[in-house]
Amino acid sequence: MAVLRKVLAGWLCGTLALISFCGVCGAGAATEYEVKAVFVFNFSRFVEWSPQAFSAPNAPFVIGVLGNDPFGAHLDEAMRGEQLDQHPLVVRRFRTVEEIGDCQILFIDRSENERLGQIIAALDHRSTLTVSELDRSSERGVMIQFTTENNRIRLRINVEAARAAGLTISSKLLRSAEIVSIRGGG
Amino acid sequence: MAATLMTGPFCRERHARRSIGRMGGAIGASALAFVLCVCFSAAKADDLPSIGDLKRLNVEDLMNVEVTSVSRHAEKLIEAASAIQVITQEDIRRSGATSIPEALRLADNLQVAQKNAHDWAISARGFNTDLGNKLLVMIDGRTVYTPLYSGVFWDAQDYLLADIDRIEVISGPGGALWGANAVNGVINIITKGAKDTQGLYVDAGGGSQPRGFAGARYGGQLGTDTQFRVYGKYFDRGDEVLASGNSEPDAWRQGRVGFRVDSAATALDNLTVQGDFYDGHEAQSTGTADSSGENVLGRWTHRLSDESDLSLQSYFDQTHLSDPVSPLLVGATQFSPPGTFYDDLTTYDVDFQHRFRLGARNRIIWGVGFRHTHDADVNAPAVGFLPAVLDQNLYSAFLQDELSLRQDLSFTLGTKLEHNDYSGFEFEPDARLSWNLSPSENLWAAVSRAVRTPSRIDHDLSEGTPPYLVLLKGGSDFTSESVIAYELGLRAHLNSQFTGSVSGFYNQYNDVRSTSFTPITILPLYFANNLDGDTYGLEFSGDYQATSAWSLHAGYTLLREHIEVKAGQFDLSNARNETADPKHQISMRSSLNLPGRLELDCGLRWIDTLVTNNGPTRGTVPSYFELNTRLAWHASERLELSVVGQNLLHNHHPEYGFPDPMRPEIQRSVYGKFAWRY
Repeated sequence: MAVLRKVLAGWLCGTLALISFCGVCGAGAATEYEVKAVFVFNFSRFVEWSPQAFSAPNAPFVIGVLGNDPFGAHLDEAMRGEQLDQHPLVVRRFRTVEEIGDCQILFIDRSENERLGQIIAALDHRSTLTVSELDRSSERGVMIQFTTENNRIRLRINVEAARAAGLTISSKLLRSAEIVSIRGGG
Repeated sequence: MAATLMTGPFCRERHARRSIGRMGGAIGASALAFVLCVCFSAAKADDLPSIGDLKRLNVEDLMNVEVTSVSRHAEKLIEAASAIQVITQEDIRRSGATSIPEALRLADNLQVAQKNAHDWAISARGFNTDLGNKLLVMIDGRTVYTPLYSGVFWDAQDYLLADIDRIEVISGPGGALWGANAVNGVINIITKGAKDTQGLYVDAGGGSQPRGFAGARYGGQLGTDTQFRVYGKYFDRGDEVLASGNSEPDAWRQGRVGFRVDSAATALDNLTVQGDFYDGHEAQSTGTADSSGENVLGRWTHRLSDESDLSLQSYFDQTHLSDPVSPLLVGATQFSPPGTFYDDLTTYDVDFQHRFRLGARNRIIWGVGFRHTHDADVNAPAVGFLPAVLDQNLYSAFLQDELSLRQDLSFTLGTKLEHNDYSGFEFEPDARLSWNLSPSENLWAAVSRAVRTPSRIDHDLSEGTPPYLVLLKGGSDFTSESVIAYELGLRAHLNSQFTGSVSGFYNQYNDVRSTSFTPITILPLYFANNLDGDTYGLEFSGDYQATSAWSLHAGYTLLREHIEVKAGQFDLSNARNETADPKHQISMRSSLNLPGRLELDCGLRWIDTLVTNNGPTRGTVPSYFELNTRLAWHASERLELSVVGQNLLHNHHPEYGFPDPMRPEIQRSVYGKFAWRY
């Protein structure tokens, strides 16, 4: 037991030193979906939609969530009071792909894994930026895929899929993303 | 004679637990400590970026924000129609766990008890005995329970913990998909892909327990679509103590190396090849036991379409055990001298699986598997297996259909059909209903049958090998134990802060293992299937993200067991030997990110009194509170320094075993660690 006490005492000193040395440093961590919500907000800034993507000049810019909603209130909070040109940003939640009307950005939840192929097919020729965190979803036709690396969010972008939908993704976004090309299968 | 009998084999089993026996064999203060932890946490919790702050960052900076994902697995799991809990890499890192069994304490639906420096008893939904055998455990698809007794040598299972992606823990039967032994639960240990472990990682540290440890991994690229990693790990654990405070000679050291290669050979094909080698030495009262092994596994998956794929997996696994066995003593009489028991097990396994959609409503998975085991023992005078060398084949096939009844309602029906050399064909059907009450709430119900097929100990054990006196042997008529399980569960993701799950079960067991005696000669005693019984219980687990920097977790398990001798039958221990479980179990954890890149974690657990098996009388392990804490500082992006205290509330406390002066107890321990990645 004597040895243990000595070790304990030693570590206690070390711990106190750490605390006093490091009183104030940088910002702490944010929750995953806060950061992802802000990414989605940024997509509205760094992707270009043609005017035909909106039914009216002041129609809302719709950010949709298909399937389960992992964001909670974070997505609504990120979009609150924001607008793009004349289009106010609104968040809508959809259970099925059929429910989706006008939608500029669609986040496809993990719960839709099995239906992803049908969803991508149903959105063909619509100017909807698809976003998902499903594994290999960018290879499967989703335009922007979130991945996590060492607790940091990374983007994988399928440029061809976006181009096919008439969307232009800014180089600011592309620069820090991994570009995925469709190699068959899609 | 009767008295001798009652004490003889039981006393023997105490020693047995050490040798083959590894297989056979302060409320106020703690509450205060936890509250202090939590208060300290709460006081510092709010100094974090808001959504508004995050929106002011450019994309590059946003990518550098570290994220916590306490609830991510809950979302993925929301539709899982079983009592599944997932231990993430982040959970493991922040717990300060140094081994897989320590990490498994993070699953509320498991009972985990540390027996000594190198042995653990781990089970789900009860039956956590020395010969506990109702759990299926896999590491990257490789089954690791031993056919010797259908239990797990936890001291042989390890990995560089930083490279584990997650541990999925399912309580309840998983026989339909996973097969025999998935009676009360399935543990799936899943390591990261080579792509996610690129670069150099080094950790090392030491303290009172473990005395010292070091691990390293290097991951690199072998081509545009192929990555690899190699890793090594070594640790040295010191002796634990007895109740008297005297040292228990159970020091343990082990080294391990391994590799993994992943290749996205084409857009549709993935190949994985991985392997490990380990070698360990454990002190025990009878001498040093050695345990080593090597395995290599290959897996090919081919995507046919979005909803269809094939996978083919094969592995080769060898384990080697050498275990000094004490003499067999009954009173002052020595029935057999000391010796050493050796076991060499070779396993070849191949599995094929195909997943596809049939029509609009059916999702089918089917598969076939084959396993060959070659088990070669060298028996000790006091214990062994007869025959000493045994080859066995296991054939299996399964089919499961998930039928989508409505968008929000699905019904899954499946079964496994197996053939093993001991009990022939086994049938393990399973039916599950899953109802998404809303996108964030799922209600599920299941009825399933699972079997625990006979293992070598049930059939071939010889405690005392001829020409020495045989006290206890396997039963040549020993058949499978079976369970019919009824389960109901609710999983809810109430809002962005709360997730929770609750599940209840009622299990009916048939033909559970008992010990019978031979008429007239009395000896040898032998294993039979003379017990029946039922169990019921409740498992609750909840996560609360108090602020973006502070998360809390609570878990509770209730378990009641009623195991009885069948009418007109006999069991030497009167149905006491197959259970050793707490009725209640509570765990609470707090994870906090402090300013200055500090992390403070506390985990408090309370384990109810458990009635032990393997004693001449009813013995208990007293209920206890224990507390683990971890303080870590991210000195830079690459360097993490931490200090971890484990079992802080007592100098030493027992978690398992019959209350005699030789029962090992687990000491308070503290260690420091650095982890560096490049």
